[in-house]
Amino acid sequence: MISSHDVTILGYLLVLLAGLLLEFLATRTRARIPALGDVLTRVMRTRTGRVGVLVAWAWLGLPFFAR
Amino acid sequence: MGFLRRTYGTRLLRRRTVGAGPAGRVIMVLSGLRQPIVLILLLIAFFSAISGKPLDGLLMLLVAAGLAWDAGRRSREAQDQSSATKAGPAGDQSPAMPPARRRRAVLAVTWLAGGALYAAVVGSFSRYSWPATAGVVVLGAIVVLIGWSGPLRPRPDPGRLPLPGTALWGGLLVAAGLWELGALLEQPGLTVSSAAHPTISTLTDPLLGSHGGRTVALAVWLLVGWLLVER
Repeated sequence: MISSHDVTILGYLLVLLAGLLLEFLATRTRARIPALGDVLTRVMRTRTGRVGVLVAWAWLGLPFFAR
Repeated sequence: MGFLRRTYGTRLLRRRTVGAGPAGRVIMVLSGLRQPIVLILLLIAFFSAISGKPLDGLLMLLVAAGLAWDAGRRSREAQDQSSATKAGPAGDQSPAMPPARRRRAVLAVTWLAGGALYAAVVGSFSRYSWPATAGVVVLGAIVVLIGWSGPLRPRPDPGRLPLPGTALWGGLLVAAGLWELGALLEQPGLTVSSAAHPTISTLTDPLLGSHGGRTVALAVWLLVGWLLVER
C-alpha cells in the first residue's frame, strides 16, 4: 500500500532523476539541451540573474539552520 | 575650464535625472519591478514570512528592494546615456573583471581553510539557534554582496542557449518548487511539519540532528556557493 509519504518522496526522487537525466543528455549526447552549468553561467551574466541565483543559494541554507 | 564645465554639467545631469528626489527613487524601484527575479524574490519573501520565517522574509524583501532599485537605476542611466550620446543600448551586464590568478589562489585557500572551519564551528551549534542563524545569514549576505559587485573572473559566454532545452531546466525548477510547495501546504499548518507530506527540510531532520551531519551539509552548501560565486 503506497502512502502519501511515499508519493511525496517519489516526487522528490523523480525531480532528482529528471535533473540527472537532463545533465546526462546535455553532456553525453548531442541532444540540444544545455548543461546546468551553462544555464547558470548564462543566467548569471546579468547582475539581477547573478544576485538572484546567489540569493536562492543563500535562501536554501536558511530553512535548514536559521530560525 | 571647458572640461570642468562639461564634467560638472554631466554630474549635474546625472544627479537631476537618475533617481532625483524621493519620487524619483520610488519610480526607480517600481521600474526595477519589471525584472522577473525581483518578483520571484518578493513571492519568496511573502511565503517565507507567512510560513513562520520572518527573518528569511525580511532578508528576501531587502534583497528584492535593493535589486529593484539597482535595476531601475541602471535602466534609467542607460536611457539617459542613450538620449545624451545616441550610443548603443547599455544592458544589465556588469563589467568583467580582468583575470587575477593571485586573487583566485588566495580566494581558493581562504575558502578551503575558512570553509572547513566554518562548517565545523557552525555545525556545532544546534539548528535554529541564534548562533547558527547568524552564521548562515552573515555568510549568505557576504556571498550575495560579492556577487552584487560583479563576477570574480570572466567566463566565456556560452552563447544563445537552445530554448527548448533551457525550458526543460526551467520546467524542472518550477516542478520542484511546486512539489515542495504542495508538501508545505498539505501540512497541518505552515509551521507544523508532517510525516505524510514531508518537505525537504523535514526529510533532512535526521541528517541535521548530529554535529557531523550538520558539518557535512554546511560544507556541501558552501561548496555549491563557491561554485556559483566563481561563475
